Amino acid sequence: MKYKFEHLNKTHTVEIKKSDGGYQVTIDKKDYDIVNYSGHDNIVSFKLNKELNNIYYAQAGDTIYLAVGGDYYSLVLERGNVFKGTGAQVQKGDSVQSLMPGLLVKIMVAVGDDVKEGTTLAIVEAMKMQNELRAPRDGIVKRINYKEGDQVEALKPLVELEILKND
Amino acid sequence: MFKKILIANRGEIAIRIARACHEMDISTIGVYSTVDANSRHLWHMDETVCIGEPAPQASYLNIKTIIEQARRTGAQAIHPGYGFLAENALFVKACEDAGIVFIGPSSKAMILVGDKVASRNTVKRVDVPIIPGMEASSTDLAAYRSMADQVGYPVIVKASMGGGGKGMRIVRSEKELEPSIAAGQREAQSAFGDATVYLEKYIQNPRHIEFQVIRDTHGNVVHLYERECSIQRRHQKIIEETPSPALDNVLRAKMGDAAKSVIKAADYTNAGTVEFLVDHNMKFYFLEVNARVQVEHPITEMVTGVDIVRHQILIAAGGELEFRQKDISQRGHAIESRIYAEDPDSNFMPSPGKILFLLEPSGPGIRVDSGIYQGWDVPPHYDPILSKLVTLAETREISIARMSKALENYIILGIKTNIGFLKRIVDTEKFITGEYDTHFIDDNEEALIPQHDKITQALVAASLVKTTRNAVFAVQSVAKSGQVRHAMTPWQELGHWEICSR
Repeated sequence: MKYKFEHLNKTHTVEIKKSDGGYQVTIDKKDYDIVNYSGHDNIVSFKLNKELNNIYYAQAGDTIYLAVGGDYYSLVLERGNVFKGTGAQVQKGDSVQSLMPGLLVKIMVAVGDDVKEGTTLAIVEAMKMQNELRAPRDGIVKRINYKEGDQVEALKPLVELEILKND
Repeated sequence: MFKKILIANRGEIAIRIARACHEMDISTIGVYSTVDANSRHLWHMDETVCIGEPAPQASYLNIKTIIEQARRTGAQAIHPGYGFLAENALFVKACEDAGIVFIGPSSKAMILVGDKVASRNTVKRVDVPIIPGMEASSTDLAAYRSMADQVGYPVIVKASMGGGGKGMRIVRSEKELEPSIAAGQREAQSAFGDATVYLEKYIQNPRHIEFQVIRDTHGNVVHLYERECSIQRRHQKIIEETPSPALDNVLRAKMGDAAKSVIKAADYTNAGTVEFLVDHNMKFYFLEVNARVQVEHPITEMVTGVDIVRHQILIAAGGELEFRQKDISQRGHAIESRIYAEDPDSNFMPSPGKILFLLEPSGPGIRVDSGIYQGWDVPPHYDPILSKLVTLAETREISIARMSKALENYIILGIKTNIGFLKRIVDTEKFITGEYDTHFIDDNEEALIPQHDKITQALVAASLVKTTRNAVFAVQSVAKSGQVRHAMTPWQELGHWEICSR
């Protein structure tokens, strides 16, 4: 079996084969021998380099969450080249969106405003923490899709910019 | 004694209070906003009441509704927990006017100490050192500017009604002053419903040490020793311990006496905390009084054996303290780690969402004050605290080792938490030696950022799971190219909440 997992915007290629004593796992072209494997609903255990690992996991959609000895990982399974991980971005092209769902506390600009890169466009609050959304580049505010006091969703365009063309 | 208490809070603290009530044979009324209809604190209540929409102003900060519901359900007293209305003198006054006992200080004492400016003026009278700064807040920017010039930069802007670092801003130059005041006011308004801020001299690299004090209405006052709270991120405490590795018995006794004299001077009753900053020369300054039960109260309970919440209720009912100062000593060493729903991999951004798997640690010397359960959707509207992990052991060294292992065995999957970050803190040399101050997190950033050096083990585990546990998943055909898959966030899947469905 061959998988691609994305972790923090980095893709790892993993190939897994049954071997005599257990499994052979190739990660980014490096081989590892896995023995003493046992798997259960939320925990797997195996020996890697003679060390025993007990790893808790849970899955939702294409994401697998793992706890490895106090360190946490969220791996996203990539399927072909269609869906590339979560790739959460604050700016996509000419719109600005919040990374987290929350309350739109303040809109600092109006449609038609000329904004410079880094200008604070809006403030979104979640869990009592305020995040400022800033303009990714210079531009003119084309559209504002929410009003103050609205609950905004994550990754939905909040402020759309018309980018000034360079001559 | 009371028969019925309304608990005007949510999460782990509401559960903590309900436990004390039930041990005292008092029945509990829980409150919830529409988004909390499935929250765990309601499992611990004898009656539950919906108090409004998710926004705190509409529910947990809604004084009128909470008083009305207390009256309607026949509650004789209200415990406010921490945060929300806990230090709101208007709320205390509203309780007093409605003939309901507020479990905490009187509105008079609350006004005196709850307002940071007023409390500084009180403390001055009893010979306890304070940090130079404004004696009154102002609406005039010039007043802030002239005080900053007088005490010298850096200065710090703080919310008058504040606590927990909300509304707080360090200002290093005049240029930063105006935007910092504006940002502080915004945060103060949203967190406490009051935008008032004031300014004082900023003490660099201090330790933050507080004393728990408890005073009954018969004049008895006892301190329950200190809590070392210097491990903070963005002025938010994340790990606390007691005893403090910085204090010797002479300074400890001196600060304990100072704390008691502050509480007496304010005619403050019930449980309160006197916070101090301690500088490099071991000089201490009064910072503020926290007129509430604090998040970190369990470590004091662990080393003194005193149940603070139980005594809050006893005192509110007019009871007399069951012990005197000479009866109280510190036994062993306790540490608390605050488990937050925030993502250390993306600058600690809040991480609400569904908890897919939960396993909480247990064993000798381990206490978990938790407000969560597996399958629960952590809402985005409130403080990110999920639970508190507390360890007690005979020595500091063993307590740290116990905390490190307990954190490793605290498994929360599905949302991001700071558990790994907390573990790295307690594993850090500077933490183990106890030589740290409030800048510990910034100074040790490199050692504390996630290294993810177990990525190999994680990838092996993930591929084993995909191959052997859900093979269906692995062979599922790849979507045709050009077909865009949209990852649904839990928020999109949730749909609309039904108002007050329960």
